[in-house]
Amino acid sequence: MTALLDIRDLTLSFRGVEGENRVLHGISLNVAKGEKVALVGESGSGKSVTARIILGLLQEQRSTRVSGAVEFDGQDLEAMPAKARHRLRGTDISMIFQDPTSSLNPVYPVDVQFHEVLKRRNPKITRAAARERAADALRDVSIDDAKRVLDSYSFQLSGGMNQRVMIAMALANEPKLLIADEPGTALDVTVQAQTLHLMRDLVERKHTSVLFISHNLGVVREFADRVYVIYKGNIVEEGPTHALFSDPGHPYTRALMAAVPKITGGGIPEIPDRSESFSEPIVVHPATEASS
Amino acid sequence: MSPVVRLLAKRLSISVIVLIGVSMLIFMIARVIPGDPARIALGPNATAEQVEQLRQKLHLEDPIWVQYGYFLRNLAHGDLGISLYTNRPVTTDIAQFLPATLELVFVAGVFMVGLGIPLGILSARYRGRMADNLIRVVSLLGVSAPSFVWAVILMLLFAFFLPLFPIAGQISDTIPTPHRVTGFLLVDSLLDGDFTAFFNALHHIILPAFALALSGIGQAARLTRANMVETYDKPYIEMAESYGFAPGRIANKFAFRPSLIPSLTIIGLDFAAMLGNAFLVEAVFAWPGLSRYGVQVILRKDLNAIVGTVLVISAMFLIVNIIVDLLIAYINPRIRLANGGRS
Amino acid sequence: MRRTFLILASNPMSLFGLFLIGVVVFSAVFADFIAPFPEHRGAVVDFTNFNQPPHWPNIFGTDLVGRDLFSRIIYAYRISLMLGVVVLSIAVPIGVTVGLAAGYLGGWVDFILMRLTDVFLSVPPLVLAMAIMGVLEPTLTNGMLAVTAMWWPWYARLVYNVTRSEAQEGYVLAAQIIGASRLHIMFMEILPNCVPSIVTKMTLDLGFVILIASSLSFLGLGVQAPTPDLGSMVAEGGNYLPDSWWLTVFPSLAILIAVFGFNLVGDALRQVLGSDQ
Repeated sequence: MTALLDIRDLTLSFRGVEGENRVLHGISLNVAKGEKVALVGESGSGKSVTARIILGLLQEQRSTRVSGAVEFDGQDLEAMPAKARHRLRGTDISMIFQDPTSSLNPVYPVDVQFHEVLKRRNPKITRAAARERAADALRDVSIDDAKRVLDSYSFQLSGGMNQRVMIAMALANEPKLLIADEPGTALDVTVQAQTLHLMRDLVERKHTSVLFISHNLGVVREFADRVYVIYKGNIVEEGPTHALFSDPGHPYTRALMAAVPKITGGGIPEIPDRSESFSEPIVVHPATEASS
Repeated sequence: MSPVVRLLAKRLSISVIVLIGVSMLIFMIARVIPGDPARIALGPNATAEQVEQLRQKLHLEDPIWVQYGYFLRNLAHGDLGISLYTNRPVTTDIAQFLPATLELVFVAGVFMVGLGIPLGILSARYRGRMADNLIRVVSLLGVSAPSFVWAVILMLLFAFFLPLFPIAGQISDTIPTPHRVTGFLLVDSLLDGDFTAFFNALHHIILPAFALALSGIGQAARLTRANMVETYDKPYIEMAESYGFAPGRIANKFAFRPSLIPSLTIIGLDFAAMLGNAFLVEAVFAWPGLSRYGVQVILRKDLNAIVGTVLVISAMFLIVNIIVDLLIAYINPRIRLANGGRS
Repeated sequence: MRRTFLILASNPMSLFGLFLIGVVVFSAVFADFIAPFPEHRGAVVDFTNFNQPPHWPNIFGTDLVGRDLFSRIIYAYRISLMLGVVVLSIAVPIGVTVGLAAGYLGGWVDFILMRLTDVFLSVPPLVLAMAIMGVLEPTLTNGMLAVTAMWWPWYARLVYNVTRSEAQEGYVLAAQIIGASRLHIMFMEILPNCVPSIVTKMTLDLGFVILIASSLSFLGLGVQAPTPDLGSMVAEGGNYLPDSWWLTVFPSLAILIAVFGFNLVGDALRQVLGSDQ
């Protein structure tokens, strides 16, 4: 299996008033074709910026410095001209965000935004044709009254409905890679689970690769084939989901797992803000164990 | 009843109440004049009987609330009284002078929206870069001087130094004035099919309208930029960027329209404020609008005319604000669809 | 406070603004020492040297009766600034009190005060001041009165909005539970939280008061001759364009410089204190 996305030794720093602030300290990760890979860490660990680097969103800001290689589908993205890279957005790579309701433009109905998304693949698509395509895409995420949803504004729809719209948009152009950044974290737990199942079924059917970014180990365990754990800009552990969960090797991973709130448990154990042991070297689970 | 109609009804009724409040305010201000308005109006040579007669006619002997009652009763009949300065009904005077002022303000409003908002969009799109810094300084300069200063500077530069525009007036003396239908020269000349007059009037209005608009342009640019920069941090813009929508399309459509909603109220207020600032520009460019009349009646303490002028301008001000509210309701689906109905 | 100042000083534009304000305030305060012809602030006539373009020692030229324009502009600054300070020091307390009372007490107090504010805000600012000026004698005091009358509603509106949102905050509830008096809560608890917005607006407004006051006197409804005033200087010089350009250009630029300075600083303050409306 060749990697669709291959990130090697990626570093990122922000230039601020008080000099450089390094956010990523050389992380490497890859996603194979059709694979669902999770990147897990707390907020501020550098997982969301990684997603934005892949899309080339961060590099547009002048205060950022990025080094390392990001290879997508055999092409080095960092070496690519900006225009060619821009062309990948919304076509071969698409993204889903944390809060579906605020990710939809409040002053345009869904169909206008869907039209814009479809134009990324086919710039000449008419509004009517786009509506047809969009309605099909919405039916894929189990929305029956697609017409009504297309005419609605985000504030008229429930969070779960908006999330379905976002999933439909993200997959409408048949992307090779879907980046899901904490998808649906802003939703109710049950709605989140429901929409995640929808998303999983769909990407499996379409054979889309997914980079799944989350702080929620429970969700990751259910969704991902393989997991990377990131802590303060370093990957501290990686391996197949089953292997990693059954035998977490890194102290930070263990702390993170202990922090998952359990329904029967007595409150939420806290992760210490800083611990010597968290800077221990990376633990890699061999891929052969990936047989769950 | 659709939400927009309900909004309109509500705004109209509030405006009527406010307008009555304004009339009371102005009426009270006008009656605290030191000295006898009748004497001032008639001049020092009038006899005591003449003054007494005028006082009777103006009900100046009655208590102020009775006077206000007379005033309201006349107002209901569209009668603002007689101007002591021109000896004509105030409504006639205003009808004569107001159109020129409104025309000036309207063209200035077109400049304000047509230049200020695009500049603001540009500034927000290239925020932090050279173009942004330049636009920000220029728009701050725009709001940093009263419009008479801009009028004088523009006149000096573009009428005297570079004689691109006429120095004063609404239309050249050599051109026959179009038939007065609406009072708006630009409209009346078109109604006559007289393009010479139309372009001549257009040529005359550009410089004063631009001077009047300058601070509004700056204000509109600053507001648009500020609100758009805020919008650029919203998740739906990040979504648009991550889907690779063209930057220009994001700026002009997806970031602009949500930002317009908070900007519009203030832009409306600035537009309405030009009704006042028009006085300054008209004075510089000898524009035959309400300015000279307004200043003259104030200097002559012409009560009826002062009250009438202020009242009419305030009514215009309120109408502009209602129009802005309707515009906001139109572009903001949350208001338009307030009762859950769908477009 | 120190931090605010440091941030202001680190931004070239606001630094430039501080410099402009510095120049304006300095020349207004020390006018007697800076003006080459201090006596020209009054009714002096020198027909041997009237309507002269800029030359030494009249670097801005002389006016129609031979007075030094530079000296008159410096004294006009003194009057403009004084007017601005007086207007704001009356309008702000009135507006703040009205806004606090309406916002915190609510009910009919809110209704009456805010409708009153609406009435004042429904007359274009300049027109209201003109109307007041019209019925009063055009003197400096009355000019201040007119501008004050049109200015307080803006503070009432501003403080009202802040108060309405602050009144929901925990610290206000806490004070109510302790049994603090309404006056205490309004002025000691809520008011301090309105201060950043008020200070920012006041900085911007010092410029705008100068602007409006000069507009009034430009129309002949403000300070009367021979008191030097930037607005009336422009009005007077306007009749002698373009030949005697210095009569209008220098007073015009003087207004622009002063207002621009206050705007630059007010704008930077707004960003630092985060009190964008």
